[in-house]
Amino acid sequence: MTNVPFRAGAIVALDELLRGKLTDAKQVRMGMTPVRLFGPWALLLGATYGSFIAWYAIAGGAANAWWHLLYVMVKLPALFLLTLFVTFPSLYVFNALMGCGLGFRATLRLLVATIVVNLALAASLGPILAFFTVSTSSYTFIVLLNVALLGLAGMVSIAFLLRTLMKLQESEQTELDAAHGEAASRRSVTGMFFIWIITYALVGSQMGWLLRPFIGHPGQELTFLRPRSGSFVESVWNATAGQAKLQSVGR
Amino acid sequence: MGGLDPSAERLLYPVYSALKMPLMIFATSIMCLPGYFALSTVLGLRNDLRAALRAIVSSQAAFAAVLASLAPMTAFIYANGASHRAALLTNGGMFCIATLAAQSILWRRYRPLLTRSSRHAFMLAFWLVSYVFVGIQMGWMLRPFIGTPGVAPSFFRGEPFSNAYVVVWGLVTGALGRS
Repeated sequence: MTNVPFRAGAIVALDELLRGKLTDAKQVRMGMTPVRLFGPWALLLGATYGSFIAWYAIAGGAANAWWHLLYVMVKLPALFLLTLFVTFPSLYVFNALMGCGLGFRATLRLLVATIVVNLALAASLGPILAFFTVSTSSYTFIVLLNVALLGLAGMVSIAFLLRTLMKLQESEQTELDAAHGEAASRRSVTGMFFIWIITYALVGSQMGWLLRPFIGHPGQELTFLRPRSGSFVESVWNATAGQAKLQSVGR
Repeated sequence: MGGLDPSAERLLYPVYSALKMPLMIFATSIMCLPGYFALSTVLGLRNDLRAALRAIVSSQAAFAAVLASLAPMTAFIYANGASHRAALLTNGGMFCIATLAAQSILWRRYRPLLTRSSRHAFMLAFWLVSYVFVGIQMGWMLRPFIGTPGVAPSFFRGEPFSNAYVVVWGLVTGALGRS
């Protein structure tokens, strides 16, 4: 924290991050979102949302439900952070190749900050999930509700990342224009942004597949991890192909 | 809302309903507020949060006030020997009127915010969708409100909690399967 120009508490820092007060172009380059401060926040907020997910198994009276609570509290933040660990080298290289001007540590800080925003939003929607979990035995409903809540949190955090990148782009463009004395050719961050999002989403979906179960299907035993088999894409493909086959048989 | 049950315990229904109505409004708000707060903050609308919350609370106060003002009419309809079905329809109508009044207050209070930033439209939509989504389930869990003739008064139904949406989905798919 020695390089960090603010001395506020962790809660104030989180509040300032959510308000976008730490992600102006200058602040991103200065490292106002240190990993040593926001990394633990990602763990805590991920564990919070994870605990709400695990309520389904507890409310259903499943065996090992309390262990499952602990597992999911570990696995949910792990899903986000391990995905970042796997994708970060490629994300950084794309950033460097496309000339976005963010250093190695600044890129890491920005991505950790985005994960914290995502998990903070998810945790804030947790009470809604918990409320429905208590009164719902339908596994499908809980899966859909989780997809909707995490999807909303994900979309808003993606918008947060794009806004931050736009601010960086504007600042760099202003500096370039000033250096050249005229309007320099514009660099677009949107291409890199989409590469980041697609890479992270692909690896993230497979990481989620490896780290399952999260909700815990009522008909299956709750374990820390399921045996390694198939992949997320394969399972979606099989489900889609199976559905298509059923429909063709129905005709 | 209560008062239809002819048994000696019928006076319990008004007491239960009097407790459950504010509980439903308050608990639904408590569920939705953390998400509303966090989303407002990330969307950069924190400075307007106080005004937005004032608009929401005003609309809820309007909802409660209109509903309370319609209570004598509801009681009058009950006193005229309304059937259980008529009581359900009466209460449905009263709720519709109160909801329309609350919506009008909410939009009126939100209008200055909407002119300030279009992101307020997203927050308003989030509030309405999440409040209705949670509110329907809250109402389902806290039933009975009116009470069924011949059934002993109880705070909750004597059955495990269920999900209103899953029940409705089951009814729809069941009806489609039969047709």
